[in-house]
Amino acid sequence: MNQKILKALDGVYLACIWSAGIAIFFMSIIIPVGVFARYVLGFGAQWPEPIAMILMVIFTFLGAAASYRAGAHIAVAMLTERLPAGLRSRCAALVDVCMVAICLFGVFYGTKLCLGTMEQNLAELPWLPVGFTYAPLPIGALLTLIFVLEKIVFGSQHARAVVTFDHSLEESTTPEAASTSAGA
Amino acid sequence: MDAFVLLGSFVVLILVGMPVAYALGLASLVGALWIDLPLDAVMIQVASGVNKFSLLAIPFFVLAGALMAEGGMSRRLVAFASVLVGFVRGGLSLVNILASTFFGGISGSAVADTASIGSVLIPEMERKGYPRDFSAAVTVSGSVQAILIPPSHNMVIYSMAAGGSVSVAALFLAGLLPGLLLGAMLAVYCLYVARKKNFPKGDVIPLRTALKICGEAMWGLMTMVIILGGIMTGIFTANESASIAVIWAFFVTMFIYRDYKWRDLPKLVHRTVKTVTVVMILIGFAASFGYVMTLMQIPLKITNVFTSLTSNAYLILFYINIMLLILGTLMDMAPLILILTPILLPVVKTLGVDPVHFGIIIMVNLGIGLLTPPVGSVLFVGSAVGKIKIEALVKAMYPFFGVLLALLALVTYVPALTLWLPRLMGV
Repeated sequence: MNQKILKALDGVYLACIWSAGIAIFFMSIIIPVGVFARYVLGFGAQWPEPIAMILMVIFTFLGAAASYRAGAHIAVAMLTERLPAGLRSRCAALVDVCMVAICLFGVFYGTKLCLGTMEQNLAELPWLPVGFTYAPLPIGALLTLIFVLEKIVFGSQHARAVVTFDHSLEESTTPEAASTSAGA
Repeated sequence: MDAFVLLGSFVVLILVGMPVAYALGLASLVGALWIDLPLDAVMIQVASGVNKFSLLAIPFFVLAGALMAEGGMSRRLVAFASVLVGFVRGGLSLVNILASTFFGGISGSAVADTASIGSVLIPEMERKGYPRDFSAAVTVSGSVQAILIPPSHNMVIYSMAAGGSVSVAALFLAGLLPGLLLGAMLAVYCLYVARKKNFPKGDVIPLRTALKICGEAMWGLMTMVIILGGIMTGIFTANESASIAVIWAFFVTMFIYRDYKWRDLPKLVHRTVKTVTVVMILIGFAASFGYVMTLMQIPLKITNVFTSLTSNAYLILFYINIMLLILGTLMDMAPLILILTPILLPVVKTLGVDPVHFGIIIMVNLGIGLLTPPVGSVLFVGSAVGKIKIEALVKAMYPFFGVLLALLALVTYVPALTLWLPRLMGV
């Protein structure tokens, strides 16, 4: 049973990564299309910018959920790694509770924001309610919540094959160093 | 008291190990509850923090850099640098520095620079008789150029954290001279060590081979021309040039160099999603944190504290540098830029420091922070690719820290170094 749940969550993880991956793929195509329209076809298109931004919101919130499962988020381990094991696990439990809290905030207030902006429309894309463009927020928060609960119940899953498949040779020697160095 | 609640809860949350992005979010909730701010307002800030057009350049720059770094670019840049400087005494250390200069013109990531240049050059330098700790130290310190030489996604983050009032184009131009100066300073030091320790000379590469190497490297270096040329001439916006750089990088990697295999592309997707989304979500939550901080008037209060200490701008910049260096040893670059810019920019503005100049000061400080223990992602990667203990690497880096601190002093106290070029170009 447990294996089935973890397997299903592998699927959720891959869905997050690929939705984000497809979003960034189209983002990188759409903006040059706008440039092409402006300089070659001779008219400035209005739609590439808002569409690219919607894709960026999808990319950010779904990708961040997957990054949580992979343990890729930037965190400070300086204090906790020097603590005795008992205290360390208590800190980890506290972090889990805090993560549940912030995810619940994202789900509840994100949904509220979406519902509250359903009547508004984007100037450039009048057919699209603003509420839809914010939908990745509560969805991403819900997916993160699922991965947080998975971690609480089954322990961290950052070493599963599906998660580590992108580690290269050198990276596998220092997974933390390489994966938490995002902004560097 | 307001400040204590907001900043205190944030510090406690990150110390117990909560990911920084979510700790920023939760601390802003605590702060909002404390000042009776509806939580809906916090949510709106998170949503609009990510929903900004200027942010698009960040994933694009990271993706273009990743494509180039993994697609055989570093090997070609190293070969190109060898043609130019490899033949002098201590040539390979200069090759290492120059390859990082070129790499910095394609990617803004010091970690990617260290990983890709280091894995090619550290073993090569060791084979030719350079000490391994010295080779790793050159690689690690040279990688700071990647942060300063445009394009640099950290500068895009700073521009955004500064409220969009600082142009990305101006920051890019401002970083160029300090980046090149760092390369030159490191090169002078390496030449001195090479003479003292009698490091070997490299071979002069025959003209025909040299031309072939230059031709290959030009494909990759065109990325830099597209990005800088596009932005400076105003043909493209920063976002547009970044997205075109992605397409160009993809084209060069998959069709010209062809080192990267199509079946490995999913790995690149996985890696890019993880590296970029952790920064993007950080930006979202930092927006809400900054908003609550502004409502509590924390930046104003901190400005008052600094200006009550002294009215001497040089001294305040000195204090700020010390503070940034210390914080930089503890945390990664992106979160610090996002948290500290709204706090410190008002302080330096009252002293008459140009926001563009201050942006580069932050980059140098936090760039040094990436090389220092206890938390230094570039240091960790350098120690992994150089197969050398962190302690040994840090020891070998002492003189290089001297060079970096000298650069920091120059950047801080000679504003012309950063501001001359952007003013000349009128951006």
